[in-house]
Amino acid sequence: MTDAATVREVAALARLTISDQDIENATTEFNQALALFDALGTVDTAEVAPMINPLNTAQRLRTDCIDTLVDRTGLMQNAPAIEEDYFLVPRVVD
Amino acid sequence: MASPEPFETISSLARQLDDRRVSSRELVEDSIVRIERLNPVLNAVISLDKLGAVAAADQADKARAHGAVSPLLGVPMLHKDIFCTRGIRTSCASKMLEDFVPPYDATVVRKLHDAGMISLGKCNMDEFAMGSSNETSFFGAVKNPWDVNRVPGGSSGGSAAAVAAGLASLATGTDTGGSIRQPAALCGITGLKPSYGRVSRYGMIAFASSMDQAGPMARTAEDCALVLNAMAGHDPLDSTCADIGVPDYSAGLEQSIQGLRIGIPKEFFSSHLKDGVAARVNAAIKELESAGAVIVDISLPSTDLGISTYYVIAPAEASANLSRYDGVRYGYRCDSPSDLQDLYLRSRTEGFGEEVKRRILIGTFTLSAASYDQYFMKAQQVRRLIAEEYQSVLKDVDVIAGPSAPNTAFVLNDNSKSITDMYMEDVFTIGANLAGLPAISVPAGFVDGLPVGMQLIGPLFGEAQLLNIAHQFQRRTDWHSLTPNLEGLTR
Repeated sequence: MTDAATVREVAALARLTISDQDIENATTEFNQALALFDALGTVDTAEVAPMINPLNTAQRLRTDCIDTLVDRTGLMQNAPAIEEDYFLVPRVVD
Repeated sequence: MASPEPFETISSLARQLDDRRVSSRELVEDSIVRIERLNPVLNAVISLDKLGAVAAADQADKARAHGAVSPLLGVPMLHKDIFCTRGIRTSCASKMLEDFVPPYDATVVRKLHDAGMISLGKCNMDEFAMGSSNETSFFGAVKNPWDVNRVPGGSSGGSAAAVAAGLASLATGTDTGGSIRQPAALCGITGLKPSYGRVSRYGMIAFASSMDQAGPMARTAEDCALVLNAMAGHDPLDSTCADIGVPDYSAGLEQSIQGLRIGIPKEFFSSHLKDGVAARVNAAIKELESAGAVIVDISLPSTDLGISTYYVIAPAEASANLSRYDGVRYGYRCDSPSDLQDLYLRSRTEGFGEEVKRRILIGTFTLSAASYDQYFMKAQQVRRLIAEEYQSVLKDVDVIAGPSAPNTAFVLNDNSKSITDMYMEDVFTIGANLAGLPAISVPAGFVDGLPVGMQLIGPLFGEAQLLNIAHQFQRRTDWHSLTPNLEGLTR
């Protein structure tokens, strides 16, 4: 069983907040999901390699050369706040 | 020229376009009128590109007049809103991306455009493809055209409802744990999830990268074959896209299925399965037998374990993939953040819906140092065992058949369903995603007026055989050609 404090800690790691009003429900749902995972513990996997990719192949690498896939202006148009060529965020260092 | 019926197949529309019985412009205008009439109720389409579609249709008509030939040229279609479309909003049905306008096309979008298809717009879906009912969309739930008080399934619920309602003869979908096949089943259409790596994921917004795969949702297997011909193939922009040749998926559709061995896993007919659905799927299997297939009893004992495995791996991959949404470079940003941490926290908390946050939390937990071996590593090991179980069975049989979903479409806002009840909707579809195998859902009848789907699962890159069997089934049955009564449907 995971308690509310742990759920809050995980939320902080995920950069999410859970309100006091929602924490009880979130903890219950969290534990329901973990209970669903208990079945995994019954399987003997001592000699089994993890499966990361269903094709069992190494990822291919492209040639290391400069290529323009997407125009910079188009990308920057989606930014919530920019100044010249930079993304704007709240001041980090006073 | 007389307008074609709204429920025409792509193959039929292509013939009519070739014979100049109809123009692409007329098809597009008819679709737009139909969308504008029915969508206020169905909520299947969340972005409509009327001007772009009409302009593209005129170009297609001009190209055809100049001798261009393509089986997809000038045929209108819709994209799931998970595919990036240059200049057209791509929201993934999330507040987080409500105003996101990609400066590029996904490879799937580019390929279908290059094949001459006309994009009408974008379909509603579960937020970030997380859901089995299409109720998690920021833009509201999609309604099932067979009963507008019921869900269309998910996550490609908007795509399935759009095809079922005749808004277009094709919609693209994506399938991470059943998100093409389950809504196809619940809406009475045909949906193909190709093998992992068969279709490029470039420009397809990531949910669980080791399982996500794009595929066609259409009225028939014949149409799915036509579209897969255009969608499939190597893409240097997706390092997991397989570099192997693409066969002509239409070429083998008419082959006899005499002597093919079809395995029926007993675990797919377990207590999870509604009785009426079991009866319809059994009748469909009998139909395959009467077409000459040999039915073989098989066992996939890890079927239920698939749920636990999937719901560890998919949220873990999602928590990593969705960490990019931080309110800095694109996507939703909260008002007046006090500092950078506040910007991250509030942008993500306000921008994501409840199901997405639930899965990010679980994924973050299972990837944390203290839980990694117990959950994430363990699930990846069990995933290999499940994949090996499928591979072993597929040495003895050509394909596996069973239900696509345990139930017919359930009622909207059904509060009696717990989170884990909802996850069980995927119990028969998840195995193909974990193992990377191709699978198709075809209409197989009705229970209480609601569609039922039969699922066929094949070996890696065995799409051609699945399409052949599905097509032969559809030559012998007419479930795929039945349509919902939408007369008088208004909000």
